[in-house]
Amino acid sequence: MAEKKKRTPNVQNDSWVVIAADSVIDTQKHDSDPAFVRLRNPSTDAASLYMLGSGDVQLYEVKAFEEDFHSWFVGQTVQRDGRLLFVTPMDPLYLILPYLIKSGKEGKFQPVDQVMMDEEFPACSRLLSCTRSLASMHHIAEEKEVGSLKFHRYSQEKTMDWLKKKVERTVTALKKRNISVGEGVKSSTYVRVKSESDANEEDYLRYAHGLISEYISEDLSKALLKHLQLPELTSPKETEPPTKKRKLSDNPVEAGEDYTKFNSADFARKPPKKMTAAQKSLAKVDKTGMKPMSSFFSPKVKAEKK
Amino acid sequence: MDLSPFEADNSVSCRLASLIPDACKTEDCCLGIDEAGRGPVLGPMVYGICFCPLSKKEELKGLKVADSKTLTEAQRENLFQKLEEAKSYVGWAVHILSPNTISTCMLQRTKYNLNALSHDTAIGLVQYALDNGVQLKEVFVDTVGPADKYEAKLSQLFPGIEVTVRPKADSLFPIVSAASICAKVARDRVVKGWNFAEDLGEVDADYGSGYPNDPKTKAWLLKYLDPVFGYPQFVRFSWSTAQTLMDSKAVTVHWDDDEEDGEKAAQRKNNRSMLSYFSAPAGGNDQTQTHQTHRFFTERRLKSLNTL
Repeated sequence: MAEKKKRTPNVQNDSWVVIAADSVIDTQKHDSDPAFVRLRNPSTDAASLYMLGSGDVQLYEVKAFEEDFHSWFVGQTVQRDGRLLFVTPMDPLYLILPYLIKSGKEGKFQPVDQVMMDEEFPACSRLLSCTRSLASMHHIAEEKEVGSLKFHRYSQEKTMDWLKKKVERTVTALKKRNISVGEGVKSSTYVRVKSESDANEEDYLRYAHGLISEYISEDLSKALLKHLQLPELTSPKETEPPTKKRKLSDNPVEAGEDYTKFNSADFARKPPKKMTAAQKSLAKVDKTGMKPMSSFFSPKVKAEKK
Repeated sequence: MDLSPFEADNSVSCRLASLIPDACKTEDCCLGIDEAGRGPVLGPMVYGICFCPLSKKEELKGLKVADSKTLTEAQRENLFQKLEEAKSYVGWAVHILSPNTISTCMLQRTKYNLNALSHDTAIGLVQYALDNGVQLKEVFVDTVGPADKYEAKLSQLFPGIEVTVRPKADSLFPIVSAASICAKVARDRVVKGWNFAEDLGEVDADYGSGYPNDPKTKAWLLKYLDPVFGYPQFVRFSWSTAQTLMDSKAVTVHWDDDEEDGEKAAQRKNNRSMLSYFSAPAGGNDQTQTHQTHRFFTERRLKSLNTL
């Protein structure tokens, strides 16, 4: 019969299957090619992959559809990973925001090119070349012009209003796309027979807030929740009944669930039974290197044949 | 026997049949069922039926049809010719199960084993005869699996017909021998002139008997093993001979219904231990909790990347 197949990790590819916005491949106007760049993900604070369009004028985020047991046939070759990359336009302000917040703590107006510096991700300064960046900076910062120079200072108030607008726009998009936002829905592939009438405005707001939170820090996400006047959800853990604890009191236990005998004073654990001589001698046997009995009942693991 | 309907597309199954003799529509008939090519790793499995009026049993015997296995290919062709000549009272039909059909049935998600496939094909052929007005009274079958069970199954399906399932029926009843000749001739011809759907260039036709223990067949299987695709559709992928070779020589392919070791699979899928649901949640507010991706993305299996 067939051998057990061992999975080997995906090796590095030099090709990918990508769906990209039309604007990505529009390289006519600018000299540089679009390029993948690693930048600080505002939500996780770790590196994530983004793409800068030609001439750095547009920022794209890169998401991968990844599911087990998929591969591609590309022309006359097989691509082992069945990944599908999506390169979709993204507002560069999301990536600029954390830097501005950080410098904003000093409370000074600063030129943005001084703010956008990161030893770990030197490419972050390229974000300022995006057409939307400087033009929309006023959404998240106060601006001051001195001569020909522009200075910026982070504004929480402005940012919240900006994010709120983002959430509202997301709600519109969610409704347009008929995306199930209700709490009960667990699978997007689940086909509803009747339209979702139980999804109320709050569900949409909360869902949109969750989506936007993928692009902002946790602190901002919490602040935004407050700004949207959405009560914080109690975590499902808290809604679970507390684990039962036996009361350590002398009072008789109320009937209901009858565990009284465990609570009564004369209930005591029996000491472990004494082992017979034979059991004792068996226990002393050197068992190093021996398989436990249970291992004989689990399925065998066979090594992959070379 | 005109094989062109099958040769037009040999990836699917196909039924070929003679005209139904008028005598069979008016007189009580007997019908024999036999198969050819059950064991080989190469080529189709063919089911054959032959039927004739009960009154012509003796004449059939006169044709000296015998168990196809005791005959040479030339003798079989000769006998098939004789059956064709006796078309005023002998009718036949064959059902060619392409190797691709066998592979896909046996390897599909809900496994459909060779016995079930055999039974259903045999039943289909009997039904075909009935649908075409053959007055069936007796059916003789060479057994597949336990004879009495098979007999009970067929008797129940075809009430009013006396079903006899016997091992070695092909040497006991001339009508079964005749069926076995039809099946065997069809298989021989199909295998000999196999049209490879795949672009393999000049195919080495020296594949021997097609049985797994034939050295020629083995050598051929080794020669035509493609690391990615395995074999041409001529090969039954569900045969362990083919599977073993693919396991050792071809690229490993994982399917989502591959059986995996319980614990390992669980680990790979990040399943939580059942026990974890019963323990108290880890103390208070969990600050170490890693970033949870929004369900919009997880439901769509979308994730961020940090490298390509």
